[in-house]
Amino acid sequence: MHASGFQTGLRHTASALGLGVAAAAGAIWVTGGSPVEALTALATGAAGSPEALLRSLAKATPLLLSGLAVAVALRCGLFNIGAEGQILVGGLAAAWVGGMDWDAPAWVHAPAALLAGALAGAAWGAVPGILRGWRGTHEVIVTIMMNYIAIHLTHYLVNGPLRDPTTMAVATRPVHEAARLWSLPGGTQFSAGFFLALAAAAAVAVMFGRSALGYEIRAVGQGPRAARAAGVPVALTMVRAMCISGALAGLAGAVEVLGVHRRFFDAFSPGYGFDSIAVALLGGLSAWGVTLSSVLFGGLAAGSVYMEGWTATPRQVAGVVQAVVIVAAGSRLLRQRRRDEE
Amino acid sequence: MTAPAPLAVHMEGIVVHYPGGVAANAGASLAVAASSLHAVIGENGAGKTTLMHVLYGRRPPDRGRIRIAGSETRIPSAAAAIRLGIGMVSQHTTVVPALSVIENIILGAEPQVAGLIRLRLAIARAQAIAERLGIELPWTAASDRLSVAERQKAELVKALYRGARILILDEPTSALAPQEADTLFDVLRGLVANGGTVLLVTHKLQEVLAHAQSVTVLREGRTVAELATADTYAEELLALMLGQRAGPAGAPLVRAPDDSLAYETPWQRGPHSEMRRAPADPLQVRPMPLLECSNLRVRAADRGPGLCDVTLEVLPGEILGIAGIDGSGQQELVEAVVGLRSPASGHVRLEGEELASLDVNARRERGVTYIPGDRQAEGLVLDFSIEENLLLGRQRDRRFGGGRHIDGSVTGATAADVIRRHGIRAAGTRAPAFSLSGGNQQKLVVARALAGAPRLLVAVQPTRGLDVTATRRVHEALREAAGRGAGVLLVSLDLDEILDLSDRVAVLYAGRIAGVLDRSEADQRAVGRLMLGT
Repeated sequence: MHASGFQTGLRHTASALGLGVAAAAGAIWVTGGSPVEALTALATGAAGSPEALLRSLAKATPLLLSGLAVAVALRCGLFNIGAEGQILVGGLAAAWVGGMDWDAPAWVHAPAALLAGALAGAAWGAVPGILRGWRGTHEVIVTIMMNYIAIHLTHYLVNGPLRDPTTMAVATRPVHEAARLWSLPGGTQFSAGFFLALAAAAAVAVMFGRSALGYEIRAVGQGPRAARAAGVPVALTMVRAMCISGALAGLAGAVEVLGVHRRFFDAFSPGYGFDSIAVALLGGLSAWGVTLSSVLFGGLAAGSVYMEGWTATPRQVAGVVQAVVIVAAGSRLLRQRRRDEE
Repeated sequence: MTAPAPLAVHMEGIVVHYPGGVAANAGASLAVAASSLHAVIGENGAGKTTLMHVLYGRRPPDRGRIRIAGSETRIPSAAAAIRLGIGMVSQHTTVVPALSVIENIILGAEPQVAGLIRLRLAIARAQAIAERLGIELPWTAASDRLSVAERQKAELVKALYRGARILILDEPTSALAPQEADTLFDVLRGLVANGGTVLLVTHKLQEVLAHAQSVTVLREGRTVAELATADTYAEELLALMLGQRAGPAGAPLVRAPDDSLAYETPWQRGPHSEMRRAPADPLQVRPMPLLECSNLRVRAADRGPGLCDVTLEVLPGEILGIAGIDGSGQQELVEAVVGLRSPASGHVRLEGEELASLDVNARRERGVTYIPGDRQAEGLVLDFSIEENLLLGRQRDRRFGGGRHIDGSVTGATAADVIRRHGIRAAGTRAPAFSLSGGNQQKLVVARALAGAPRLLVAVQPTRGLDVTATRRVHEALREAAGRGAGVLLVSLDLDEILDLSDRVAVLYAGRIAGVLDRSEADQRAVGRLMLGT
């Protein structure tokens, strides 16, 4: 049952992707470019060489973690629009702990910094979870507001108390060597964070497949009244789901800081938290589906940079592919929901 | 006899296939004489509702002919049906709660001048219709203030306001007290006397025999009989509805051979009545009540009265029926007993133990289980499999894993066992709940509530929407639970069900206990009077 759902999901995603590529080809052709040349460059940049592939996986890493975050919340029936804010506070917490003069070995310092990022994200997710569970305040509104708080709070901290005075950039001090994640030398930005993200996907898969908590989250998401009538603690389950969701997003921020940037730059996230919504929906909210869709989006991001460099096709064309894929996948979800309601 | 007038409605050879190939109508026909009250009966799934949807333009038939007042026609939409003078009063009345009664009545056909609604004109027209029927309605009151019976009358006026001459009523009395039902039939009789035609879809045979002139019986999507009610009787109609499965007259239960032992285990067999009827010896010590509610006050769930100073008890082995018009405090009572709503004051005790501070899980551990009234929303997670649904609420039970993880082999074996013992028709333990029929969904909910031999079973509308066979099985399960010594708190809007099963009947009216009747004193009239607070 599970496998076949995954397969149909895969088929739908493939057709959505085909539609997206066709739309992009049209856009390139209309603006006077060569679709074949540009799309070949896009593919080459995404997966044409080992370096390209690693670059794609590096771009996929934060999307995978935050995509899992959105998926976990949505399985509980909660729309976590706040992954962006959770990424920012997670990243800053990781940079702060990673930058402490600790003199601890790497096996202590790096995990501590990651943990700090996850906890900060969890705290940021807990607020909308608590307000929704016990006060009934809609989580979409609260998570959006929490995004603003996160943006401005990190902006203040990184400009004020946590700013590195020795550099022109608006950033924290670099994290210690011991707190950094292993990464490949060269410009691929591929780090151990990718394996961490894969492990997180495996953990989420096990949680939904075999744990009582995962079962409760799904029950609350798919049948809140039945869950309540059967004695599932609905409010508490919502808070738990939002904490896990926030922790995953916080981890995404921490991995970017510790594995790629080595310090917290102000507003370092190019909107991972928002792209992650598309990643989660396209992945059908399943852990492995989200993994595949994050790699797809990572590839589009990496490939578009290459395409722009080699064919002078604006990288926004990749955005066209992304947008059409999202709309196609989203309309399928809507259709499914409407059928469920009938 | 004069020359026969054309039939008001004549449908022939109606075939409707639903996606998935199920034939909801497989050659159904319907012939209704003008100005008559005609009943359509059949089990659930016999195709009554589908046939009415065809007539009301909601579902174009795949095949078949429809003639209205003698001329052949097609009815592609509800708007077309309304133009042909067909009106529908549905099972669940559809009103916009925020609008006033008159606004709901004119919705979709507002008399207007330059975009402004002429409310006075509308009220005058509606008033004329209502007077002809002997109905009074508060036209400018908010619709959600109306009782179920009043809403139904408003729907009736609405249909006539739109010019309906043929009225379809789908289970109109299911939420009414007997006196209210009588009033409704008075109104309908007046309508027929004025030349209207009424189509009554129902499963209550007494209503058919008392009020209809003729009846069409559907079974498995086909019309199996068209009779004048003067020429038939209840047993014949029942036999026609059930077809092959009907037993000899007076047989208590019709069972399919494959699931004959469902609900029964060896220690449950035997007439439960012997076990629970205590001899009427005044000197004998009364058994300790299983459930005791005293001076229970509960705030209202939404509007409604809430619960006010309710005191009642359920003895071991007893079925206590709770009768009352919908919204009289049933929901609050049930939720206070199962642990979903904390009372403002008063006590709920199970064998002397105060339950107030315990949640649903703690109460279930003490033996309180719950069959919710809305099986699709409250009973089941429809997207979950049978296996997952049986686990609901017990996902941290040691039996299904260590409390944190869930052991798939145990849940699978449990589900397979339940499917076998309760005769659930399903593709397997992994079949999603939405793929089951209503009766099998309810079997699943009942099975979960019966797991672990509960001491107090709280059942709300346990047979709503079920056909005769499924209803009997649920009733038998409740009786057997009582026979085992469990107490049953049965809340139902179906008075026949209450009177059929209960040892005592408590009647709720506006959040208070209006009276408690013994089985011997409880009949339609007596309970009905209490239900209306008179």
